[in-house]
Amino acid sequence: MALLTLKDIGKRYRQGEVEVQALSGINLEINEGEFAALVGPSGSGKTTLLNIIGGLDAASHGTTQLNNIDISALKEAQLSDFRLFQLGFVFQSYNLVPVLSALENVELVMVLQGRHKKECRQRAHHYLELVGLKEVMQRRPSALSGGQQQRVAVARALAAGPRLVLADEPTANLDSENATALLDIMHTLSHEDKTTFIFSTHDPRVMDRAERIITLQDGKIVNDQEHHHEHSDKHEHIN
Amino acid sequence: MNVHKHSHLPFWMLLTLAWRNLWRHRKRTIITLSSIAIGFGLAVLSIGIGDGSHNSLIRNAIKLGEGHLTVQPRGYLEAPANHKYLEDGLALSKSMQTLKLAGTIEPRISLQVLSSTANNSVGAALEGLSHENDPRGIMLSNELVKGEWIKPGDLRGIVIGEGMARKLKARVGSKVVIMAGKKGGDSQAQLGRVRGIFNSQVPEMDDYLIFSDIQFAQRFLEGEGAELSRQPVTRFAIFLDDPDTLYHWKDKIKAAVESKAVIAMDWQEMMPQLVQFIAIDDAGNYVFLLLILIMVVFGVLNTVLMSVLERAREFGLLRALGLSRRSLLMLVFCESLILSLLAIVVGWIVGGGVHLWFSQHGIDFTAMIGEGGNVMMGTFMDPVIYTELSWDRVTQLTTIIFIVTLASGIYPAIKAARVTPVEALRT
Ligand SMILES: Nc1ncnc2c1ncn2[C@@H]1O[C@H](COP(=O)(O)OP(=O)(O)OP(=O)(O)O)[C@@H](O)[C@H]1O
Ligand SMILES: [Mg+2]
Repeated sequence: MALLTLKDIGKRYRQGEVEVQALSGINLEINEGEFAALVGPSGSGKTTLLNIIGGLDAASHGTTQLNNIDISALKEAQLSDFRLFQLGFVFQSYNLVPVLSALENVELVMVLQGRHKKECRQRAHHYLELVGLKEVMQRRPSALSGGQQQRVAVARALAAGPRLVLADEPTANLDSENATALLDIMHTLSHEDKTTFIFSTHDPRVMDRAERIITLQDGKIVNDQEHHHEHSDKHEHIN
Repeated sequence: MNVHKHSHLPFWMLLTLAWRNLWRHRKRTIITLSSIAIGFGLAVLSIGIGDGSHNSLIRNAIKLGEGHLTVQPRGYLEAPANHKYLEDGLALSKSMQTLKLAGTIEPRISLQVLSSTANNSVGAALEGLSHENDPRGIMLSNELVKGEWIKPGDLRGIVIGEGMARKLKARVGSKVVIMAGKKGGDSQAQLGRVRGIFNSQVPEMDDYLIFSDIQFAQRFLEGEGAELSRQPVTRFAIFLDDPDTLYHWKDKIKAAVESKAVIAMDWQEMMPQLVQFIAIDDAGNYVFLLLILIMVVFGVLNTVLMSVLERAREFGLLRALGLSRRSLLMLVFCESLILSLLAIVVGWIVGGGVHLWFSQHGIDFTAMIGEGGNVMMGTFMDPVIYTELSWDRVTQLTTIIFIVTLASGIYPAIKAARVTPVEALRT
């Protein structure tokens, strides 16, 4: 049984007279522990798809199930709680609350989850150490580099113990060295915690770290294959 | 998964976030706080001057008038007449004495008379005062421009105002015939001798009043048929040591003296025009207060709304992470709450400081209103006003500012809670 199942997802945007079909006929299954990349040209619908999976946006058509919960049927307030307890997010930029230190940012989501202060602190320390930021965790985001900020966001997403982490172009604002470093951290953590990751990217080097590559074009999945970094033998993923 | 788990923003986290957010733009917050504080200071000052001048007006009106409480014949206020008097002043005086009131009780006689000299005749009011402790006498004896006040036991002496002296062409030592009509239609007259001439600046007094010893005036009451042994008077003017005890003593006096023929009234009932005048003047102050409140509303609204608008992305992020709409609303509202509490504290430091200074040093209005310009409603205002601030005013102002600043935080909070993550996060 797949962790995430998308059935015939479609999304139309209306801008005045013009209708944009951002997504259509998307069928997708993601299993627990997958480390999947969503790729495709600009405007192909990557962000739209991630937003629908994350319950940030509603599909015009189709159903989204995570762990047997029909996300498309949840109401606003339930979606909010669903995101808090089930999902982790890493955005392209501006991921952190500016008035909180790196440590407090990581703790924040756990605090909202209602975990005990002590547990929040311990987990936050643990994950900040894993992403290599123990030394700078008292700093506010403005005193951290772009790469460090993204690592804090990854630590925050994982510390909260989500079923699925969604990352929309997490490396877009990073140089390639920082980008691959961030992906390596995400990859390692995904293996250690058995956390499922879906991230979108343009960067071929980042794509290269993925175990599965889903390609979107004009709102449709045009290619979906497993990807083996070491042997680079590719074979079609049965959908 | 457990769908029944809910997000929860603990109070300490709410406060931490709100407090830090408030100080994100130090300058802006400080400017807002100081503008509120200045507005508040002005409001305290304007209300302090209003209350100070009104209280000065009231104090003088009471001193020159008929006291905090007045005991007089029923119907006298509506239609004063010489034959309306308290026949048994002695008994009333005795029953009031047993109350052991903190203040003084002054027996007085007021009569409508005609005063004449060889040169002229004018209508006048003869005011018989009991002795030199009468506040009215004390106050006017300081305003003498010629001669001296009536000495105790001087049963012929009178003191008149400059206006009347001019009309009668009288001076110190002049003889004045004072004539009063009797109930039956006859008239009676006594001869008085001018001992002093006062100038109070209040035309109603200077042109119209003749002061004498109470015994001089009592003889006219005798002519009306009163028995002197029962010490007839027109009224008792009661002066309280502490004006705040007015209603306490009013009840006691009423219980002690009121009857079919006798009534006890407070100064507000005695001087309804003065009360009305103050109410109108207060309304002017409230308009000023309203302007200041509008300023405060825009201050808070501007600060909080600006910070809300520029933080749309951050709110989107928080909502994406799972912060509930309600918590976000609370967060922004809490920022306004802290801002308004700070505004009140800073406002009171400034407003209280301004008040303390001017309550000690006073504001001299002589230059502004000129000599005699402070006379109104038959009394006058001291030219130097010391601001006054009662605890009622303190709570009133605090509550108003608090409610107003809080209310101005509602809109930004709603605005923030409306942010949707997708829109906010789109770059
Ligand atoms: N709010 C919106 N209103 C109208 N059209 C939209 C909206 N959001 C997205 N679109 C359209 O939907 C299509 C898919 O957009 P989306 O942002 O998902 O693409 P993307 O693959 O994430 O692109 P990029 O790589 O540039 O981030 C585009 O044609 C875009 O113009
Ligand atoms: Mg995108």
